[in-house]
Amino acid sequence: MEFSEVIYKIFLKDGGWLTILNGLWVTVQISALSLLLGTLFGSLLCFFRMSNFAPLRIFAQIYISIIRGSPVLMLLMLLFYGVFARTGISPVIVAVITFSMHTAAHVAELLRSALMALDKGQVEAARTLGFSKIQAFKLVTLPQLVRIAKPVYQSTIVNLIQWTSVIGYVTITDLTRVINNIASRTMQPMITITGGMIIYLAISYLVYGIFHWTDGRRAQ
Amino acid sequence: MNLKKFFATICAASLLIAGCGSDNAAKVDETSQEAIIKLGMITHLNASEKQMEEYFFKVQEKSRAKVLNHVPKFYDNLNLMIMGIESSNVDQISVYECVANYLMANNNKFEVAKADWISGLEDNFCFAVKHEDTALTADLNKILDEMKSDGSLNKMIDEYIINVDKGKTPPAIELPKFDGAETIKIGVTGDLPPLDFVDTDGKPAGFNTALLAEIAKRLNKNIEIIQVESGARAAALNSDQIDVVFWSIVPVSDVFPADVDKPEGIDLSKAYFKDNITHLKLKE
Repeated sequence: MEFSEVIYKIFLKDGGWLTILNGLWVTVQISALSLLLGTLFGSLLCFFRMSNFAPLRIFAQIYISIIRGSPVLMLLMLLFYGVFARTGISPVIVAVITFSMHTAAHVAELLRSALMALDKGQVEAARTLGFSKIQAFKLVTLPQLVRIAKPVYQSTIVNLIQWTSVIGYVTITDLTRVINNIASRTMQPMITITGGMIIYLAISYLVYGIFHWTDGRRAQ
Repeated sequence: MNLKKFFATICAASLLIAGCGSDNAAKVDETSQEAIIKLGMITHLNASEKQMEEYFFKVQEKSRAKVLNHVPKFYDNLNLMIMGIESSNVDQISVYECVANYLMANNNKFEVAKADWISGLEDNFCFAVKHEDTALTADLNKILDEMKSDGSLNKMIDEYIINVDKGKTPPAIELPKFDGAETIKIGVTGDLPPLDFVDTDGKPAGFNTALLAEIAKRLNKNIEIIQVESGARAAALNSDQIDVVFWSIVPVSDVFPADVDKPEGIDLSKAYFKDNITHLKLKE
């Protein structure tokens, strides 16, 4: 069989590409939702982690160290086949919860490191000049925070997209699952999985591209 | 100066490694007359790799093969196993005859490898059900018996497994719907064509849909097919996310105990399909 024929059979024949797009859509949906919720929860967690109130700080510390120290697949299986096993919650929701929890821990840490990189004196100076706490945060801390945290945040997003490739374990048909199905059906795993990798690579570069574009706009 | 030193170290290290390597190779050649054949196998639902390895050597011993030269290596699913043989991590792979035929029809790199000791080695395919669900197991057994006696099961096997056109995939059969009836959730892997696979439209097709549609019709119950990663099948069954695991293996052999792959607290139905084991290798 010729190579082009094999490629056609794997990726295009009988609308196979539509199934791949469906899988891609599931991956994108779960990643986007998890990113949104994870960022919100992560910011809150970072606030807890930096607070002067000990119980909150310790809670955040423990949470971050447990989540960051364990593989996300274990957490996913534990939640789906353990905690939410007989509740009838849809696997997609469990996946979003898991990846939000996971992303939150990472976002909290990246925000904390960005905050620690800032010069405390600037906020103090702003406060002496009569800015309120909120104003000082909005006008002095936030712009610098965004600039410092952005590169790490971008790689967190790309990591998140790749982590979602394990959700086949909880009965969700995402891009990886679709690729595996095609590989089984066509019996050409090498070529099919290379194709799947190129798709993941393309999403990652799309994310990098978006960040690069926003950087360029800021510079203007 | 530093660069020179660096290269000298690298050279020394590579010499050392190469030296050790050739030593080892020479030892292997001395001890066994026939070369060791690394054989890829699919990890079972429950039996551990160590258990399987023990039985595997027993089968070789019992056969007339003089040299135990097949050493198993386990893979999570068929895809990984094919990648393993394509990258020469293993020399041969152990698959079912129907899978082997399908594989050779779709990927012309493979051919049958001769191994005398595996002749007559067969596996039965069964449903795995939770031990508490005795009613469901009884229902499944009853339907399988009925289908065996009226010949519909054999017809199905012929149509969807044995006589699949070369390079084609068997069609999908739509599952019947019964309003208000209870739903049985059946977990499939999609990893074992032509028995169990997912079609281009992303939906399961072939023999499993045909058999499940027939079972649903005879049970008057809805059947929902859920695709689970093969490594998560036991967890899914134990946590009630699915009610039935679609394929589980019972070896037909006096060496293997029948319950070698049966997890605790799980019952197996009667067999619905039986197939020989074949070894495949890459064409030279």
